[in-house]
Amino acid sequence: MNSFSSIKTLLSCSSLRSSTFLQQVRHKKYPLQPKIQNPIWFARKERATFDEQLTKENQAFVKEMVYAKYGPPAIIHGVETLDLSRSLLKQEPVVSGEWSPGIRRTGLIARKIGVYPMWMKDGKKVATTLLQVVDNYVIKYIPPEEYQASRKAPRRYKNEGKWGCLVVGAECCDPQKFTKEYCGLFKDSGVAPTKILSRFLVSPEAAIQPGTSLSPLHFKVGDHIDVFGRTKERGFQGVMKRWGFKGMPATHGVTKTHRRGGNIGQGGNKGRVFPGTKMPGWMGGRRRTLRGCQILRINTKFNVIFVKGQSVPGGQNSVVFLHDTLLPLKWRKTSPEAFPTYFPHLQEGDSLPVDIYHESVHNFADPSIMYEDEEVKDAKK
Amino acid sequence: MSNLVLFQLRKSTVALSAISKLNKTHIEIQFNFKYLVGQLSQRLQSTSSQVVVRENTKREQKRVVPPNYRHIYPEFLPDPNMEFRNSVREKLERTDMINRRSRIEIPEFYVGSILAVTSSDEHAVGKTTKFVGICIKREFCGLRANFTLRNVVDNLGVEIKYEMYDPRLQRVQVLRLEKRLDSELLYLRDADPEFSTFPFDMDAEFLNEGAPVPVNPLKVNLRPPPWYARWERLQPKGAIIPELRGRRKEKSEKWLEKFSEPWEKYDLMKQYRKTIPEEEQDSIYSDIYSELHQMEIASKKLKRKKAFVKPKKTG
Repeated sequence: MNSFSSIKTLLSCSSLRSSTFLQQVRHKKYPLQPKIQNPIWFARKERATFDEQLTKENQAFVKEMVYAKYGPPAIIHGVETLDLSRSLLKQEPVVSGEWSPGIRRTGLIARKIGVYPMWMKDGKKVATTLLQVVDNYVIKYIPPEEYQASRKAPRRYKNEGKWGCLVVGAECCDPQKFTKEYCGLFKDSGVAPTKILSRFLVSPEAAIQPGTSLSPLHFKVGDHIDVFGRTKERGFQGVMKRWGFKGMPATHGVTKTHRRGGNIGQGGNKGRVFPGTKMPGWMGGRRRTLRGCQILRINTKFNVIFVKGQSVPGGQNSVVFLHDTLLPLKWRKTSPEAFPTYFPHLQEGDSLPVDIYHESVHNFADPSIMYEDEEVKDAKK
Repeated sequence: MSNLVLFQLRKSTVALSAISKLNKTHIEIQFNFKYLVGQLSQRLQSTSSQVVVRENTKREQKRVVPPNYRHIYPEFLPDPNMEFRNSVREKLERTDMINRRSRIEIPEFYVGSILAVTSSDEHAVGKTTKFVGICIKREFCGLRANFTLRNVVDNLGVEIKYEMYDPRLQRVQVLRLEKRLDSELLYLRDADPEFSTFPFDMDAEFLNEGAPVPVNPLKVNLRPPPWYARWERLQPKGAIIPELRGRRKEKSEKWLEKFSEPWEKYDLMKQYRKTIPEEEQDSIYSDIYSELHQMEIASKKLKRKKAFVKPKKTG
């Protein structure tokens, strides 16, 4: 029995396993393993769920414990989550960093809930994308000295060592759905494990205490933001749809070549097809950023940001990430009111309006748009 | 662990779908209700399962929302395609629509009604334009909802597409409220111009309150082909398709044989996918019922005020 158990422990050690089970491999390792360059703190999220055959009483007890630890389930600003107002600090300690041009603030995680038209005051119709800022919480702050973007040797990128990393989570949920390692990420902040996690590069002055909830009022109406997300999957697509090639004529003697790519190289000195040559292949499912979107309206009841334009990457109800724009001509010149972020307890005065519109946008509750006669305009001047 | 089998009965169709949570089997049965319940209770008694048959209890409760709201305000119902649905966006859209309706009265109208629309136009004399025409099409839902008006002006057919919630619209007046035999009247483009001509100074025709909307059984004469589209394929009830000749006739008959779907009218699931279920329609309209009802009352008062002519003393 003893010898058997000792062999078992021997076999369980991964290092010894490789020496005892040496197998020469001459073929490619299928299924092909993708190169993952995850950050050091990355933890596997989903676990295989199976019927654990708990009694009803035990199931209810576990649920009770979860709600006692974090908070009861509630629909907050139109999103189904756990109400963490009891477990987290209500007064977030304000970081005493000061804004200066070039400082980066945190971003937000939102869901693209739809597109609908709005009209400007001059009568122009504009398509606006609705981005619902689902319950966002700051999970962790990693200062620039400790932050390392990838698990392998750090890649040299611009301004390395200047930015810290702020980990933001969205959509709190039952911790039973995730692995223990993933739930461990949220231990220090006191936030319930979230479905979505994202990191934003921030300046150390804009660091925020973990556990702070983020609101769409972090941005102001009229601000320009960058929205990035994963585009819609379009499958294996030809060169015309994927790269916008013109194709060839349908008639006039063209033989069997109407949607093909045509020439792919020159020959001669190089005599090869250059890497990166545009060819058919998988289209979509890539991370893309829409730069410089203007915020036209913010709805504080459902935490929705209305952004001008309709080409936000991703399909309906997909997750997108927002942050202050990196376009140089649209950088901030003055300090944002919400620095490092919007804190509701610091907001003075009356309660917020339900809808905050940009001055150029027509509010549907206002009277119809009428154009002034030129004589009237001149008289006014 | 007992299986929980949930049944949902829809009032409008006799379609019944049973979903077992563990096995994830989906059964769709379209039979007589009594036979259905009998069969299912027999089959389910064999398995040890807890059956919950939940009927539409709202049927028994008094209806708050009038049943014709889905005809008067069809654009409040969202696109039934699940890919595009989101409850928060729909709520926000409805609020914006109600806000707009508080500023302009958008009356009940159908395809085939004659409307007069006054809108702000930057480049017009007096900065407003008025257009009168027959509504030939109504598209989309929510804030995107639009309608197309057609008229013949100086022997030229003119169609203008108006967005229902465009803030530039100043007044939408229904001159003649009626329905036609088809849901779209695009074939008027290839009909005799007399069927699309309506005078701009036309007077509004009044209907008695509570009277049903009349259906005009008019059959429009189409000019001989070539046409804008192959109207014979749509088989419109409100148009007389002239006798097609030769190859054109052959092709149209072949197409109808190949592509016509006489079983379409029996396809309940297709109808289900194209419409919002009645329970959901009720919940949507009950959300906004109070505001809409108030607006209706206010507009009726205004109409009575206008219609009322103060009696003058004679002698």
